[in-house]
Amino acid sequence: MSEWLESAITRAQGINDWLAPKRANAVELLSNTNWPTRKTEAWRYTPLRSVERSNAKVITDVAGLSPTDVAGLSAIELVFVNGKFDVSQLAETLPEGLSIILGQNLDDVQKAQALDAFSSIKPERHMFGLVNDALAQDVVVVSVAEGVEITQPIRISSLLSQGAESHTRVQVSLAEGSRLTVIEDVQASGETLNTAFVEYDIAKKAHLEHYRFALQTGSNVAIGGSHFNLLDHATMHSTIVAFGSDLSRLDTDIIHAGEFADAKLNAMYLLDSKELFDLHATVEHAMPNGTTEENVRCIVADHARAVFNGRIHIHRDAQKTLAELNNRNLLMSNTAEINTKPELEIYADDVRCAHGATVAQIDKQALYYLQTRGVSRSKAQVMLNFGFINELIDLMPNAALAEWIRPVIRERFAQMEVK
Amino acid sequence: MSNSKSLLTIKDLHASVEEKQIIKGLNLDIKPGEVHAIMGPNGAGKSTLGYVLSGRDGYSVEGGSVELNGEDLLEMETEERARAGLFLAFQYPVEIPGVSNLEFLKASVDAQREARGEEAITSADFLKEAKAACKQVNLPISFLKRGVNEGFSGGEKKRNELMQMLLLKPKLCILDETDSGLDIDALQVVAEGVNSQRSADRSFIVVTHYQRLLDYIKPDFVHVLSDGKIVKSGDASLAHELEAQGYAWLQKEPAEDELEG
Repeated sequence: MSEWLESAITRAQGINDWLAPKRANAVELLSNTNWPTRKTEAWRYTPLRSVERSNAKVITDVAGLSPTDVAGLSAIELVFVNGKFDVSQLAETLPEGLSIILGQNLDDVQKAQALDAFSSIKPERHMFGLVNDALAQDVVVVSVAEGVEITQPIRISSLLSQGAESHTRVQVSLAEGSRLTVIEDVQASGETLNTAFVEYDIAKKAHLEHYRFALQTGSNVAIGGSHFNLLDHATMHSTIVAFGSDLSRLDTDIIHAGEFADAKLNAMYLLDSKELFDLHATVEHAMPNGTTEENVRCIVADHARAVFNGRIHIHRDAQKTLAELNNRNLLMSNTAEINTKPELEIYADDVRCAHGATVAQIDKQALYYLQTRGVSRSKAQVMLNFGFINELIDLMPNAALAEWIRPVIRERFAQMEVK
Repeated sequence: MSNSKSLLTIKDLHASVEEKQIIKGLNLDIKPGEVHAIMGPNGAGKSTLGYVLSGRDGYSVEGGSVELNGEDLLEMETEERARAGLFLAFQYPVEIPGVSNLEFLKASVDAQREARGEEAITSADFLKEAKAACKQVNLPISFLKRGVNEGFSGGEKKRNELMQMLLLKPKLCILDETDSGLDIDALQVVAEGVNSQRSADRSFIVVTHYQRLLDYIKPDFVHVLSDGKIVKSGDASLAHELEAQGYAWLQKEPAEDELEG
C-alpha cells in the first residue's frame, strides 16, 4: 500500500456524514486493495508515480473560479470549486421537473434513496472510484422527473486552483421517458489532483446526451469516471474529448440493464509532449436486443502515450445484441506510444459484434507534396489528417459545443510536430 | 539575355541522400524565360536535383549555394520555396485520398496569394479558373471533385500536375521526367500546356531521360548530368546527339568542365 492511499484512508475515516455507510464500505475495500503496479492489468501502461508524488492539498477556502464561456451555450451551471459545490453559481430557478440538490440538504426519504443509488452503477473494481466514494467532498444529486424534457444542458464543472486536490461526485437520474443533456468538464491550473465521478441512472425510454471534456494538460493529475445504467429502450449518446497530462485516466461503464437499449460513444483524444491519457471503456450487455456503437480516435505526438482498453462483454442472455467497436490511431512521431486493446467477451450465440483497431503513421510524402505547392506544414497536416477527428466532431449533437471545440482541437493538432 | 539578372543560380552544389552523395558539385545558371533541359542516364541525380531544390526531408545539402531571384533558396522551408515561385512537377505525383483535388488546388493558390499579400480569391471565382485549367489540360471537370490523384492514370496525374502549374503561375518550373509513362497523345497535351506557359518571365528545367519530349518542348540549353555533375552543355542539337549516341560515352570520356549556360 502506498503512503498516498494510507493517508486517503485515514482522511476518509475522519469524515462522518450521511454517506458514512458507503464511505466505510469503500474504506474497507481499499484497505484490501494492492496499490497498482506495472503488473496490475488495469494500470499496466499508466504508472501512478504522479499520484504518489503529488503535493496537491484539499483547499478549504473557495477561490473565485468560474467555468469557461462557450459561445452560444446557455447551460445550467453546476460548479465545484476545489471540490466544494458552489451553490452561488447555480440558477435560482430551475426548469420544471429538474432538481439539483446538495446531498446533505436532501430530506430523509431522498437521502435514503440517494444512499441506495450511490455506487450502485459504478463498479467496485475502479480503485479511484472507491477513493472518490471515501473522500467525495460534496455530492450533488440531479434528477429529472418522468416524461420531462430539459432542453437546457447541465454543465458540471470541476474547477481547481493551483495545488488543489478535489473529489467531486454527481448522481444523475433520468426518470422514465425523460430527456437530459449533461456536460462534464474539469478545468485545472497546475499541480492539481482530482477525482471526478458521475453515475447516470437512465430509466425506461429516457435519453441522455452526454459530453465529457478532459482538457487539463501539464502537471495535473485527473482521474475520473462516467458510469451509465440503461433500462428498457433507454438511449444515450456520449462524446469524450481529451488531451493528456502527467496522468489523465477515465473509466466509462455502459451497462445495458434493460432490453432494446441503445448506446453511442465517440471519444477523441490528442496528446502532445509527454502527456498521458488512458481510457478504459467497458460495455456490459446484460440483456437482449441492445445496440452499442463505439468510436475511439486518437492522435499521439512527441513522447506522448495513449492507452485505450475497450471491453465489450455480452452476457449469455443478451441475444440479438449489436455491438461495434472501432479504434483508429495516428502516430506522429517515433517516440509516441499507443497501447490499444479491444476486448470482446461473448457468451450469447445470436449476436452481431465487430471490433477493429488501426494505428497509422503520418504520410510524410503527402505532407511534402502539399508543401511543394505552398501549403504550410501545419495546414497540410490538418488537411491530411484532421478528417477522422472532424467526423466525430460532426457527430456531436450540440452545435454550440461542436463549434467551440473544433478550432481548439484543430489548433492543438496543427501545433503537433511530425518527428 | 546574358546580361539580364539570373532567376536561378546554383553554385558548386553538393547534396546527399541517406549519407550517400548524389549531387557532387553542380553549377547551373538560368535566366528568366529560358528553358533548360537536363538529360542523363539513370542514377545521375536528375530527380534528386528537383527534390533538393524543393527542400525535401532527407535530402541534405552539404555544400554550395542556390539563389532564386537573388534569395537564398536553401534557407527556405519547402512551402516558402513554392511561394517564392518554385514549382516541381513530380515524376510520380502522390495520391491523397480524402482530400479533393479542388480543395487541394484552392489551398495551394490561397497560401501563395496570401504570401504575396494578395486578396483571397472567392470560391466561385476559383472554381471558374479551375474548370478552365481542367479543360486546358484535357481532364474531365469531375476530376476536381476526386481525391488528389486518387486512381488517376499515369497520364492523368501528369496532366493534373500541369493543371497545378497553370493555376499557381510559378516563376521556375521543374518538370521531373514528365514524359515517363506517357503515350504520344498525352505527351502532346502536356507539351502544349507547357508551351502555352512559356513567357519572358517564366523559366523551365525539363528533366528527361529521352530526347522525345524535347521535340515538343524546344529547349534553349541542354545539359548532360552524370554522376552528380553537369558534364556537358550545349544547345538543342546536343539532345539529338545524345539520342544517337546514348550515354555510354560518359564512361569513356573524362568529364569536361561545364559550359556556361
